[in-house]
Amino acid sequence: MSTLQVSMYRYNPETDDAPYMQEFQVDTQGRDLMVLNVIQMLKEQDSTLAYRRSCREGVCGSDGMNMNGKNGLSCVTALSEVVKNNRLVLRPLPGLPVVRDLVVDMGVFYKQYERIQPYLQNDQSTPSIERLQSPEERDKLDGLYECILCACCSTSCPSFWWNPDKFVGPAGLLQAYRFLADSRDTATTERLSGLDDPFSVFRCRGIMNCVNVCPKGLNPTRAIGKIRDMLLSNAT
Amino acid sequence: MNSRKNPSPKKRPVNLDLSSMQFPLPSLVSISHRVTGIILFVGLIFLLWAFDTSLSSPHGFEAVQDVLSGNALAKLVCWGLLSALGYHLVAGVRHLLMDAGYGETLEGGKRGAQIAVVCGAVIVILAGVWVW
Repeated sequence: MSTLQVSMYRYNPETDDAPYMQEFQVDTQGRDLMVLNVIQMLKEQDSTLAYRRSCREGVCGSDGMNMNGKNGLSCVTALSEVVKNNRLVLRPLPGLPVVRDLVVDMGVFYKQYERIQPYLQNDQSTPSIERLQSPEERDKLDGLYECILCACCSTSCPSFWWNPDKFVGPAGLLQAYRFLADSRDTATTERLSGLDDPFSVFRCRGIMNCVNVCPKGLNPTRAIGKIRDMLLSNAT
Repeated sequence: MNSRKNPSPKKRPVNLDLSSMQFPLPSLVSISHRVTGIILFVGLIFLLWAFDTSLSSPHGFEAVQDVLSGNALAKLVCWGLLSALGYHLVAGVRHLLMDAGYGETLEGGKRGAQIAVVCGAVIVILAGVWVW
């Protein structure tokens, strides 16, 4: 039983009218490979296969995809975690336009990231040394700054599927809170007013698909709850 | 030169085949909360109509009483709406608790969803016992 049945989402805009599933058989020799290793073996069988990858160790966030129905990074997902009945179904991240095979257009995802202004804003005069933080203030950023923007969370979120242009999505909101929680950032009021509408934050229904898939073990749902609390206590 | 069949980025397909995706229990509890809300919204039309009929005259009251005690379909509808109400209430309270910051961890969310399903099932059974 070392032959794995792999079903792969294929779409080539130059030759295909519509996407289809292609079946592959891979000899894993009984090893518990990472899904990315299997995709590399498929690429040897069919060189037209397109996918993104870079660091192959869960740091760059390029190879987010849907494996047997669950989003994750293929390079750090072992076959034993996802394969059921010796079968592996690989599909691109849900909800984003497919450029080719497993490669998706992340434009709308980055646009939401850009919208939350993911950089420190401080209107005080520049000090001669670093802006200091107490260890407690620094602790607030743990669980927020580690995000690698792989889009596994936002593309597992039904609210983001239906309103990717209006709902910021879990990844963007986690980063929004990362700067709201930063003691060195002085743009809190402006940041909150940019999120104060029925869609940007409040489309989150707390179903926690984002927490369920995050390869870094982060918790966007909690961050969104914190933003909601800030919006309510700063009610205009 | 250019033999592209589908050059426009606007025509790109999107992978949104819901049947191919895994949905964890917390998401199923949330969507069924919304579905029961819609069922209640529609079902209340019939309940209000029956309520109005029962209040219109002694004759109307007896007619509604007869249907609710004799007609199996009416009992089924009644049981269904009570079940929907009970489940909607439990799942709604879960959402309120989560909004207040309880059960926002991955484990807490799953535990809360399990509790909601168990409480909902108990209410469905109790509603059935009460109706029949």
